[in-house]
Amino acid sequence: MTKLLATTALASLIATGAFASELTVGAANVSSYLDPGRDHSNVGSQFYYNSFDTLIAKNHDTTDTEWRPGLATEWKLIEPTVMELKLREGVKFHNGEDMTADDVVFSLNRMYQADFPPYQVRARDRLENFEKAEKIDDHTVRITARRPEPLWETLLNLQQVMIVPLDYTKGLAGDPDKIEHDDYEAFSLKPVGTGPYKVAEFVPGERVVWERFDDFWGEKAPLDKVTVKHMPETASRITSLKTGEADIVTNIAPDQLGLIENDPDMKAAGSATALFHVMIMNVNHPKLKDARIRQAMSLAIDRDTLNEALWGGKAVVPSTHTLKEFGELYQPELTTFEYNPEKARELLQEAGYDGFEISYYTAPSYYTNGLLAAQAIMEMWAEVGINGKVTVQDKWNGGSPDMMARNWSNPMYFADPFGSFGVMWAPNGPSESEGRFNTDEDYAKAWEQFRFSGDVELRRAAYAELMERIKQDPPVLPLYRPYESWAMKNNIDWAPKPGHIPYVLDFRAGSIAVN
Amino acid sequence: MLIYVLRALVKMAVTLLVIVTLVFFATRLSGNPVDFVLGDGISREDRELLIAYYGLDATIGSQYWRYLVSVFSGEFGLSFLERRPVSQIVFERAWPSLKLLLSAISFTLIVSVPLGILAAIYRTSIIGSVVMVIAFLGYAVPAFIIGILLVLIFGYTLNWLPVIGDGSALHFIMPTLAISGMLVAAITRFTRNAMLDVLSQDYMRTARAKGLPEWVVILKHGLRNASITLLSVIGLQIAGLAASGSVVVEAIFAWPGIGDLLVRSAILRDYPVLQFAVLSVAIVVIVINAAVDIAYAYADPRIRLAKG
Repeated sequence: MTKLLATTALASLIATGAFASELTVGAANVSSYLDPGRDHSNVGSQFYYNSFDTLIAKNHDTTDTEWRPGLATEWKLIEPTVMELKLREGVKFHNGEDMTADDVVFSLNRMYQADFPPYQVRARDRLENFEKAEKIDDHTVRITARRPEPLWETLLNLQQVMIVPLDYTKGLAGDPDKIEHDDYEAFSLKPVGTGPYKVAEFVPGERVVWERFDDFWGEKAPLDKVTVKHMPETASRITSLKTGEADIVTNIAPDQLGLIENDPDMKAAGSATALFHVMIMNVNHPKLKDARIRQAMSLAIDRDTLNEALWGGKAVVPSTHTLKEFGELYQPELTTFEYNPEKARELLQEAGYDGFEISYYTAPSYYTNGLLAAQAIMEMWAEVGINGKVTVQDKWNGGSPDMMARNWSNPMYFADPFGSFGVMWAPNGPSESEGRFNTDEDYAKAWEQFRFSGDVELRRAAYAELMERIKQDPPVLPLYRPYESWAMKNNIDWAPKPGHIPYVLDFRAGSIAVN
Repeated sequence: MLIYVLRALVKMAVTLLVIVTLVFFATRLSGNPVDFVLGDGISREDRELLIAYYGLDATIGSQYWRYLVSVFSGEFGLSFLERRPVSQIVFERAWPSLKLLLSAISFTLIVSVPLGILAAIYRTSIIGSVVMVIAFLGYAVPAFIIGILLVLIFGYTLNWLPVIGDGSALHFIMPTLAISGMLVAAITRFTRNAMLDVLSQDYMRTARAKGLPEWVVILKHGLRNASITLLSVIGLQIAGLAASGSVVVEAIFAWPGIGDLLVRSAILRDYPVLQFAVLSVAIVVIVINAAVDIAYAYADPRIRLAKG
């Protein structure tokens, strides 16, 4: 009898989830708001993939481009500028609503025809080619582009066009039958999507709690509950793995990796993040107008040494502004940026550089190793005779005419050169409109071909042409892809997947295992 | 007495207005949130669009006027980042900070007052010296060093104590110790000095001559007379702590308190949050000062008479 009782007790323990899979993640940063549409920050991208779906999904196990059915099961071009999509049936939002064409049309048009400023600014750089989405029937929608679009799938796989519920959003604030700006503001505190985890609790800046969504249309989530907690201090984050307060922690600095790897209780996983830390140079600064001076500033920097010294050789130094994730558009054979101190000296002499001071701005801690890199770059500049000076300030001065050089990042917002270089360095894009980069007709023509040509070879050729322009009159030098690490207890199997944008915490089926 | 309290209140109101004004202008001098976080990688036109959306395109004068009106109507606006009322955000953070503050104050008083008295009575023996050495050490080692050391020893190495958040009573131990270090040192030294002044007074001899037991002499006649000095020092120390002291300690222990909020909103220029948070801290400090002032008046009739 006692034995039976014990067995029953054990069985009920298992059934009631005493062994339920619950995880705690210690994150260096937690979002202030959660709205996949308005957000493109590195902090935010951690959170959306678990709770939201796109119409077209992607195989994230590879950097190759393999599209998968998402909330749409089929899609085909019915005219050069019109895509028709069949929607998956039986998809439910976390609040129990069925997903229909109305929700899809709403989600897309809130970006395509944005009148809410935070959406407007997000849509402008990447979604400008999309005119509208229309409902054909409850499970069919049509999307119209202004011009033939070579990147249909890519741009329907974006975080910004993840699908959100219409009726729910309407009812959040003000008139429950109308969409108002306040509805969008309210949504960002109570997000609802169709993904395998629902956001059960969200305290901005402090905590995100996910619970498994049992009505998810695909393979169910492997974890019952995940709590992401804000843990700002690195030493405490690592300690929390030892005390059992966290199972996974984010943002482990390169110099802490040894500690993790030598500890039998924990391990690290990492990858060279799909973004570049870059140095930008103001082509319109009166003293830097001569391209040779900027070429010298770039040629003088030994990026491999920076990588060895600051990242233990784990970062990736690119020869041009290209990332492996770009698939057919990945062009490592181009040599746009190199280290050549001899040539730097020659160019400085030709340009008649008289030793004037060149300031280099950096925020104290915004980019990992940003300040250290700046100081090392000053030494490298001094080697070729450039008189550089680091100025530390928090404020973004990329739009100031006095800015000479500073650090910045060019993230990969989506896996195409248009999603990285293309966002930052488009004609009239952020760099040009801030007055530190110029484009002309030829540049615009090459950009058009790179952006809109349906022929991959033509796109590659046009991109090579843009890179040559950047080489001749450089406004930017990508320093490296930084190496980002996560640490976890030994019983957790998790690693960032290569097909994601940076920093995604992917806990979907097949992405994490707890032993 | 009423006039005395009223005067303290008017002083409070004027101080608050000055603080509101200073915070308003100081934060705006250093740039706007679109330059720090909301506007990464967007064009100049889009930046203007966001600045207008967040109401930062009006002249600084009209923004100030709007802000004053909102303060007096009890509406403090929405956070630029979180898009919810700043009062909600600040109150969410205030309680954990307050709990930690109370814990640190209780610990400090329980430890340092007896230590101070001991150090005064046994000032010539080894006990007094040991207490003073500990006090000086506590004064010299900053809170973040104590905090990190505690994490290393009791968290990382021994796994005895939790390091993250304010979940249970155990969570309070390390942050309380880290914050109290300096405070214990200060109050112990002040208690000792105040007691030393009192111990040599004539009325102490009188009390002993009456045949009172020594502990009554020390606590009733000694400590009570020393308490005037102590009160003002404790008030000052607590006010200082409430204003800034726990920012670093809160970060180390991932304490969901107001320190982290203050730093983040200052770095990101989330003005509405920053303004309200500074205002709240200022109110707490002012209230503490006023409470100390009033406590004086109760403790020492001479103060009451002189000011009244």
